Amino acid sequence: MTPRARENRWLVAPAVAFLLLMLGFPTVLNVIYSLSDVSFETLRSPRLDGLGNYGEVLSDGAFWASLSFSLRFGALTAVAEVLLGLFLAVFLAPLLRRHPWLLAVLTLPMMIAPAMMGLMYRLMLHEFVGPLPHYLFLWFGSSPAFLSPAWAFWTIAAIEVLQWTPFTLLLFHLAYASIPGEVREAARMDGARAFRLFRRIELPMLLPTVLVALLIRLIDGIRVFDNIWVLVGAGAGGSTTSLPIYIYTAFFRGGPLGPALAASVLFALAAFATLALALRLAGRRAP
Amino acid sequence: MTRTTSLIALMALAFPLAAPAAAEVTVLGWPGGPEEAALRAAAEAYNARPETAEEDRVELLFTSRDGFFDKLAADLAAGSTAFDANLIATYSIGRYAPFMRPVDLGPQAAATFGDAVLSTMQFEGEQFGVPTDLSLHFLYVRRDLMDALLADPEAQATYTRIAQERLGEALAPKPPEDWTWRDWAAASLYFSQSVNPDSPTRYGTVLQMKNLLFNMMVFQSLPRAYGADWMDAEGNVTVDSEAYRTGLELYKLLYDAGATPPDSTSYEYAEANAAYASGQVASMVQWNAAAGELTSEETAPAVAAVTDTLPPPAGPEGRFTHVHSLGLGINAAAENPEGAERFLQWLATPEAMAVYARAGGAPGLAGDALAAVAADRPDLAQLGDYAVNYGYVMRGATGANALAVYERQAADFTGYWAGTSTLDEALASATEGMTELLAPPAQ
Repeated sequence: MTPRARENRWLVAPAVAFLLLMLGFPTVLNVIYSLSDVSFETLRSPRLDGLGNYGEVLSDGAFWASLSFSLRFGALTAVAEVLLGLFLAVFLAPLLRRHPWLLAVLTLPMMIAPAMMGLMYRLMLHEFVGPLPHYLFLWFGSSPAFLSPAWAFWTIAAIEVLQWTPFTLLLFHLAYASIPGEVREAARMDGARAFRLFRRIELPMLLPTVLVALLIRLIDGIRVFDNIWVLVGAGAGGSTTSLPIYIYTAFFRGGPLGPALAASVLFALAAFATLALALRLAGRRAP
Repeated sequence: MTRTTSLIALMALAFPLAAPAAAEVTVLGWPGGPEEAALRAAAEAYNARPETAEEDRVELLFTSRDGFFDKLAADLAAGSTAFDANLIATYSIGRYAPFMRPVDLGPQAAATFGDAVLSTMQFEGEQFGVPTDLSLHFLYVRRDLMDALLADPEAQATYTRIAQERLGEALAPKPPEDWTWRDWAAASLYFSQSVNPDSPTRYGTVLQMKNLLFNMMVFQSLPRAYGADWMDAEGNVTVDSEAYRTGLELYKLLYDAGATPPDSTSYEYAEANAAYASGQVASMVQWNAAAGELTSEETAPAVAAVTDTLPPPAGPEGRFTHVHSLGLGINAAAENPEGAERFLQWLATPEAMAVYARAGGAPGLAGDALAAVAADRPDLAQLGDYAVNYGYVMRGATGANALAVYERQAADFTGYWAGTSTLDEALASATEGMTELLAPPAQ
């Protein structure tokens, strides 16, 4: 080992030790509990029980329903946020170049805690105290019931998109600004018009960022908890139960904790596999 | 480092270690409502008593309400010594009993509260806490609207026609004091603009149909009036019964007819109060805790002067209201259980409960204890009256998994109301879940 490599190891050691302590220990404990017959009463003396908890989770219809909800929600919001963010980054590029401070204003929504966002919309959308239904009743004589079973999914998806599009806007703005001016200049000299320039030159160069943004937003959308929980809870008949909400409610149901922890391990494995796959894809696409 | 700096550093280190010694009994209370204000007043009065020893002084601890019982379960199970006494509720005693110790409330307790109220803090024959706040349900009803209906023959004919069309029974309007649940349903339909475009209110009622365990407590007084119970005497789960079917179907009928706001499936306590306070709702069944807010000109100017509070409607088996109490019990891992017990014993005296009630608490009091505060808190007489005459606790509803049963019902019943499952599916699922949750522990 070279002195440089040895030095690097020493430098990275505190961070690794911190991660092992703060993430590794709970993870190992989580895995042990997921293989055990354990409840709040027996937290200090779990009895190893093999893969029974995993079998129970995998045969639970509510688990698959929550997985389906999370995947639909994550995919829909990730695609919407990426498309909107990309559009805004390109459309507002000249404006943001002249007034960079506008970016700080546009990214404000993502500074708000998701739980607070849920709370804000719980008030905003309430038929009797919310400003939005109030004006809809005033102007049109009726208002959609935004949190009714028919609308709840679309309402929480719209709130998620409103909050996190600024994140993708930020990513795309930085990526778009980093495209060298000479490339655009050369394309224009070759006769490329704006749309062709975007489709043939800029978009391919933005593609790795698009993939990274999609991936980050997909994982974030799948693990959504706070704003849904505050806004509508698990939903009528579990209709807005995301995977994290499933894990949370299973954990605090008052019975065995193993199935909830088994679901959390499965969730972590699936997220890790998705991340690895997407990073590999993004790596291949990168110029 | 200079000597002065060292001294300051040492003092700074010593301070947090010394601080807890000032208060020897730490009490974890129910945060953010009248219960907190009342407990603060009671603790202050207790600490000011000359006979309270220095090591018995009470310090209060409050966390967020959100997930309170879950966090408490984790703390108690982990043997936390952060508090000596903690909040418990009727429906969670069984869950926490293994981590708590029974308490002797002293000879005055029975006279202060009466046996019925004391029993809301008992589990398997032992007293686990002092009942500080009673919770049950009132029917909040717009007296002005009902009087107008009863004085208008044309409106009465419309009412009867709607009842015949929607409920299959030609009901005539009655004063709300005499309502059965079907009268309540007929009035709810009549006062809904989706059913009766001439209704003065947008909705006849507001139902709390969010997938939330507390909403199940509000709902169950309806099936109970038709004879519902969780289990029979042999311990068989009896949720798939005509009584539950009647109650569930009546809620569904009102929801589908637009007699309650269409996003009622996301409503809980606060949303329902906001709907009623807007003046666009004719009646609702709601917790007694809302009475202060809904009858105050300051917080509900549109309805305060015209709102009556009555017991919930009746059914073939009588009139019922869910009842539970919040209270304080002793942590099994408490560092000062004796001091905590002395505080709880004091709380069970008329003197303490007078302080507690005047500060906004809602204890269920009896006899002289009630008479002492009747002038300041006339609503407490109504509370005690309803608890004694109409209060019920479902069989198994103080067991270790009572909260989980409510949660299971909330998931299944709200699914039926929202149309994601049929009534048979919802009841079959509830039966399966409750059978598992209410099964006696394996020996």
